[in-house]
Amino acid sequence: MHPFSTVTLGIFVAGYITARWDLVTRLYELVLFAAEYGVVLRAARGLVVLTIIFITIFVPVALLARGETRLRSFVMVEHDGLMRVFWPTDIRRSDRAGVVVGWRNSTLDVFVVTILEDVDAHNVEFHLKSGTFFRSGPHSPSRIYDLCGHSSMHVLGVANIASQTEVDPSWVCAKTSIHSQYPRIACAKASSVQLILYDRPHPKGMQYISLNPIALALGDKGSFPDDVTSGEDDSEEAKHAAANKENRRKLMEKLKQHSIIKRVPSARDKALPKIVNQVNWSWELEQVLQHNVGRLGPRPKRGLSVSERVVESATTMRNYVLVQLWTLLSVYLFPIVQQAFILVLFFHRVLAEILLIILEFRAKPGYAALKDISATAQQIEIRLQQFCYWPMQYVTLRQRKANWASVTTSHPDYIRFYNSLWLVANDVIIGMAVGSYIIEHKEWVADQIRDLLRVYTVEALQSGISWLMDWPAGLKLNGELAAFLGDLFLWVIDYWSSCIETLSPALPHIIWFVGFSSFAGASMPISMFSDLLSVLTMHIYSFYLASARIYHWQLTILRSLFHLFRGKKHNVLRNRIDSCDYDLDQLLVGTILFTLLFFLLPTVMVFYLNFAIGRMIIISMKAGFDTLLSCLNHFPLFALMLRLKDPSRLPGGIRFELRDTHDYKLSDANDKISNEPPTSIIYLKCIPLPFRAMFHQYFQLAQRIRKHYLSPRVLLCLVTGQFVPPINRKNLYSLQYSMLPAKRATMWEMWRAVNTEIEIPQKKPFQLPNIPQLQNGGKRPTGFGRARSYA
Amino acid sequence: MLTTAPRLRIRRPSPTTAEYTVTTLPPQTLPLRLLWLLLLFLRIFLSLVTLLVLYARWVQERSSFGAVPTTPFPPSSLPPLLSLDRMVLLLDAFQDTPSGKLLARIAASVTLPVLVPVAAAVFYALSLRVHKEESLLVLRGLGVQTSESPATYLASAATRFIPTEKIQDILVNEAFRGFEVRYYLVVVVEGEEDVVVVFPGLLPKRKIVETVWRGLRECLYEGRGEDSRVVASEK
Repeated sequence: MHPFSTVTLGIFVAGYITARWDLVTRLYELVLFAAEYGVVLRAARGLVVLTIIFITIFVPVALLARGETRLRSFVMVEHDGLMRVFWPTDIRRSDRAGVVVGWRNSTLDVFVVTILEDVDAHNVEFHLKSGTFFRSGPHSPSRIYDLCGHSSMHVLGVANIASQTEVDPSWVCAKTSIHSQYPRIACAKASSVQLILYDRPHPKGMQYISLNPIALALGDKGSFPDDVTSGEDDSEEAKHAAANKENRRKLMEKLKQHSIIKRVPSARDKALPKIVNQVNWSWELEQVLQHNVGRLGPRPKRGLSVSERVVESATTMRNYVLVQLWTLLSVYLFPIVQQAFILVLFFHRVLAEILLIILEFRAKPGYAALKDISATAQQIEIRLQQFCYWPMQYVTLRQRKANWASVTTSHPDYIRFYNSLWLVANDVIIGMAVGSYIIEHKEWVADQIRDLLRVYTVEALQSGISWLMDWPAGLKLNGELAAFLGDLFLWVIDYWSSCIETLSPALPHIIWFVGFSSFAGASMPISMFSDLLSVLTMHIYSFYLASARIYHWQLTILRSLFHLFRGKKHNVLRNRIDSCDYDLDQLLVGTILFTLLFFLLPTVMVFYLNFAIGRMIIISMKAGFDTLLSCLNHFPLFALMLRLKDPSRLPGGIRFELRDTHDYKLSDANDKISNEPPTSIIYLKCIPLPFRAMFHQYFQLAQRIRKHYLSPRVLLCLVTGQFVPPINRKNLYSLQYSMLPAKRATMWEMWRAVNTEIEIPQKKPFQLPNIPQLQNGGKRPTGFGRARSYA
Repeated sequence: MLTTAPRLRIRRPSPTTAEYTVTTLPPQTLPLRLLWLLLLFLRIFLSLVTLLVLYARWVQERSSFGAVPTTPFPPSSLPPLLSLDRMVLLLDAFQDTPSGKLLARIAASVTLPVLVPVAAAVFYALSLRVHKEESLLVLRGLGVQTSESPATYLASAATRFIPTEKIQDILVNEAFRGFEVRYYLVVVVEGEEDVVVVFPGLLPKRKIVETVWRGLRECLYEGRGEDSRVVASEK
């Protein structure tokens, strides 16, 4: 207190006492009175009692309460005290204090996106809630919140602070330094820490991680070919497979009943898909946050200098000119070009539609369409379908630009689109080489083909048949029957060879046409040669059919006569063998016929085998052509190149790696951080798609072909002379169609898609021409927004 | 000698994270290390020999085509060290040494369709791993991950991650294998037909399997607050 005021107060008191002296005497009497009647003693006794009560009751209660509060803050929320921290590996390592920002998936499950340096935590929290960071972003932040599963980002904790006293108990206290590789994490609530380090995938480079392998084939076709198989052929195998599946399903049900406890997954367990999205978003979010962190601090309130004003005006002028040019271009020229292009495209689409309708025309629902018969038609159809699908795919890919780069849903589409484009381009390039070669050497090629035809389909057959007629390999066949059959086939071959002779002058023209068609891709001549092969070996096919039919008849007759021989017969109604009483003449004639036919069987069989082998060779050649075609049409070239160039663009799942914490602990001991929980360091990595998965469809196809042709059923058909059913073409080509949607978009849909495509880029206008307005006398933030617009 | 019976190695930096590795690699001692080194040198030596045989054959084939301009470099203008030309020069010089001639004779005595597959088989055999290693990584809140070391040194480990949500049950089962009963650890995955066998190649002894099973359950589930609640509600 000031001495002067003390003096004043003293004078006041002294004056008061002298003025009111009677009050003082009254007080003196009161004291005497109290001393006489023992008031002082009683008051002292009360004081002692109260003190004892205070010491025995209130002080322990207060102590207990304080202890309790400390206890509760220690184990309050999380059940097991496990803290999970996802930490990016490329985060800035420095000793400066900062605020850790990211997503809080549950109380002790945090996902760190970045550390903002030199800012106040509460301020950051406020701005994150109000969305200041995303205000000038290129796209709306709602997509981020939607995919990452929270309504805003959170402040997770602080980094490199001196004292941990005024930190919220659920906050992370991270300690990073330039020297140590891993941050050191402490949290008041955590009793153990999982530190999971992750590499940020680069969304602009279309990298991402996913839990499931990326699907290279279009998904909606998956079950389609299988349904066809089960419906039409392979019924026994399909039944068998279905039974097998049913058994496995029952086994699964049984296994399910064995589980005693159904554990309800905790929030942390359920967060995994969300975390995958957060990892994918991490890079872009970090960019946005670091870019806009300047908005939090005090904005510079300085007027612009003269030179800055000059620069300002100059940029304004430049922008103005650019704007004028751009509007000229975008308003007058661009729409015309675009409309013209769209019209041309649409015209082509109409032509394609007409052709497709012709190719897919079926006289009756069950009948074969043109594309089922001919490989060329099939190839044309595939190309047309691709052509119809490209605009739709392109529109989808354009829409990708109108959103954040971290949206990963369209990446498989991107790979598929460019894979098919690349394959077509490759096909055309190879085709040009092949085509020019064929056209230049058409005479020579025609001669070669003529020779091949003559040698293999006519002369080889003729010599083979005459060999069979003449007791082949010392086998004594029935001479008359062999001569009859052989003459029959030789006669047809003669007729066929004369047909081919008349055709041969036209062969160079056909070859020229084939060569010319290969400018549309090397797959065209291949499919045409495949078709030519089936046309020019028609006679072998018909021989095969005829001899198979004769052989099969003979086998059937032999079987029923064998039953007769044993005194039995086949009951058709019951589908079983019954015994039967034959007459003597029936038995006699039957036995004689049986013997006759049995001795004639080898003759028929060798002819049948001859043609069956020829047929099998042709089928395998066509299979070779088909394989070539499927390689040209479907080979995952783009995916393979991506796999070599940047494996993280083809994610095939995730894996974790437990790192050694040895050096971590050592450095810890040096630093002597108190109360740090036991920490395990885990590295989250992306598995690139294995090569096996890329060629999964090829394996499937090979398996299907193997199942069809190398099954015992087919062998039985071949031995008994029944017709071997060729593999369903749809089955064979499921590979090629797996890149196309099951149902192609109609013309109207395409028209609409192509026309809306124009509007999407206009949502995001040309960035440059934002004419800066000189408001508030040049008092303007050192605009991050403007820096963005120039970028 | 280079491998032992499968033995367990546990890494557990924090109570909620553990890695159980079953390996046939014996504990490292000095003789063993020396043996490893010897094996490594043997591998390198054998693959070098195979490469040289292939190269000798290649030279013979090339000369049989006739178009070989073998211009020996004059000693004054040796190509720089560690360049492709220098390598070729060295290889060609090696062909003239006695051992080189021996290799050339071996290469010439075998036909090409035999030589190439045999060389491929030798390379494959030389890249084979001696010991096997299979591990199980348990992360509470994330899931379990099994991994197997590949057969050769060239490939990377095959891993399979199963999120906790998908784990229906974890159990030890027994099966007949030959004339013995083997106990193995199984993870039943929800919605999948096949169960996932942990340590499928090594199939360690029952004691190890039990240890892993207990540790796994403890690591994944024990002490979770919500667990007691679930059990109580079921009762």
